[in-house]
Amino acid sequence: MTAASSSSAPETEAATEAATGAPLLEVRGLAYDYGRVTAVQDCGFEAAAGGVVALIGGNGAGKTTTVQCVAGALRPRAGTIRFDGRDITGLPAHEAVELGLALVPEGRQVFQQLTVHENLLVAGRVQRARADLSANLDKVYTLFPRLKERRAQNAGSLSGGEQQMLAIGRGLMTGPRLLILDEPSLGLSPILVTTIFRLIGALNAEGITILIVEQNLHQTLTMADHAYVLEKGRVVRSGGGRELLDDPAVKAAYLGVA
Amino acid sequence: MLLFLQTTINGLVLGGIYSLAAVGFSLIFGVIGIVNLTHGIFVIAGAYMAMALFAAAGVDPLLAIPLIGAVLFAVGYAYQRTIIDWAISRASVEASLVVTFGMAMVFRNLLQLWFGPDVQTITPSYSFDSVAIGPIRVDMVRLAALGASMALLTGLTLMLARTHFGRAMRAVAQQPLAASLSGLNVRRIHGLTFGVSAALAGASGAIIGIVQPFSASSEVAWTLNAFIVVVLGGIGSPAGALAGGLVLGLINAYTATYVSPALTQAMMFLVLVLMLLLRPQGILGAAYGESR
Repeated sequence: MTAASSSSAPETEAATEAATGAPLLEVRGLAYDYGRVTAVQDCGFEAAAGGVVALIGGNGAGKTTTVQCVAGALRPRAGTIRFDGRDITGLPAHEAVELGLALVPEGRQVFQQLTVHENLLVAGRVQRARADLSANLDKVYTLFPRLKERRAQNAGSLSGGEQQMLAIGRGLMTGPRLLILDEPSLGLSPILVTTIFRLIGALNAEGITILIVEQNLHQTLTMADHAYVLEKGRVVRSGGGRELLDDPAVKAAYLGVA
Repeated sequence: MLLFLQTTINGLVLGGIYSLAAVGFSLIFGVIGIVNLTHGIFVIAGAYMAMALFAAAGVDPLLAIPLIGAVLFAVGYAYQRTIIDWAISRASVEASLVVTFGMAMVFRNLLQLWFGPDVQTITPSYSFDSVAIGPIRVDMVRLAALGASMALLTGLTLMLARTHFGRAMRAVAQQPLAASLSGLNVRRIHGLTFGVSAALAGASGAIIGIVQPFSASSEVAWTLNAFIVVVLGGIGSPAGALAGGLVLGLINAYTATYVSPALTQAMMFLVLVLMLLLRPQGILGAAYGESR
């Protein structure tokens, strides 16, 4: 067992990849404080249109705070967030959704006392997707036959995996171009985790850009085109998903192998 | 037996009015988490508006409900988007307790200045008519009051269950973050919830005006009644308000008939305390579950 942390592993600097045009999402110098505690500091990353980008890191690294700032649920102290070339820093969440940016929040947060169908209807009424409401419902129900079976049940009565499907379905109802998933595999059985990841891959294949926050590193990095490692609210490392997976420092810190 | 039946009918009629007067209070607590101590003001303001319309233009209080509701909807919306929202965003949800208490005092005194301190009643033409159901007689006004209350409560229930706005209100009540991520403007829905609550309170005020005497200072009693109804029935749903209102109405009527009219308030609070000790979630439980 070599102490990987001390070895000067090849510094994978923010790889300036041959970016085809401007990225769909571009975050620069993001900072957010909870009271006097800084959660995110000078955090920057980007997501190319059509790609899968991952934010990884341990508990308290600032991943959730970062994506909540991006989605407009939190208002950053500093930094800029550009979506599709437009500055959306500080834009409230219900307006960010209208631009095609959907966050599936950590812990699913389904509307427990609404039925499955009502959960989907609420989100499906955003202006950008209202005209496609019935098509979107069909799409979600085709994607998740389980939800269709349980459409009249209260969301609170669903299992964890079903609630995650509903949370993703709710996000899809808004017709997103960028789908942000915050810990979609949290608390799910290994089989369900695989199902969810396969689904995310399918959504990406349809052209939806994916930004995923995960602690489940192996499957995340296997799927991601590009990943950023967050530590104490900063990006400390970034690179291709596979590349990071083989990075001894990442392995040591997050996979428990040296 | 006849006395018992008559008392029961009176209690149920009173209960229907209590339900309507309380449902908005319940809605605001369920959706926004605020104990709105200004609630009784909206009730009494509705009663005064009905009185003024009746005196000035002879408009029947029950027919004036749409107009009163519309005005108070606007007032309630504006009140939430300014004073209440400022208090919550700068301090805390708890701060709204102090703010609404203070605003209730301000409004009560304004109503007193405007309409005077006297106890008022509204007496439409059918005030002294009554309907006989077998040996029991029910005042026409009470019957009309009960009918109007039930119609409005049914309307609210349907709106919450069937419309996008109703679903949005419930979604915001349960998961404000997820609601905003689903494209709902949470602050606006909070404002609209206040508007609906004030409109329903005003409607109940117009109904109360034809059934009972009122004055500016009776707003305190209506806020307290709403509080008791909500504790009895359960938070956040029209059904809970109806259950709580009917129970409160019956307690009131039975106490007045069989114990002493002077002890109705004491009995109401005794039941309130017992309820809090034995079943704090109310008869029907909280409509929005564990969300709060």
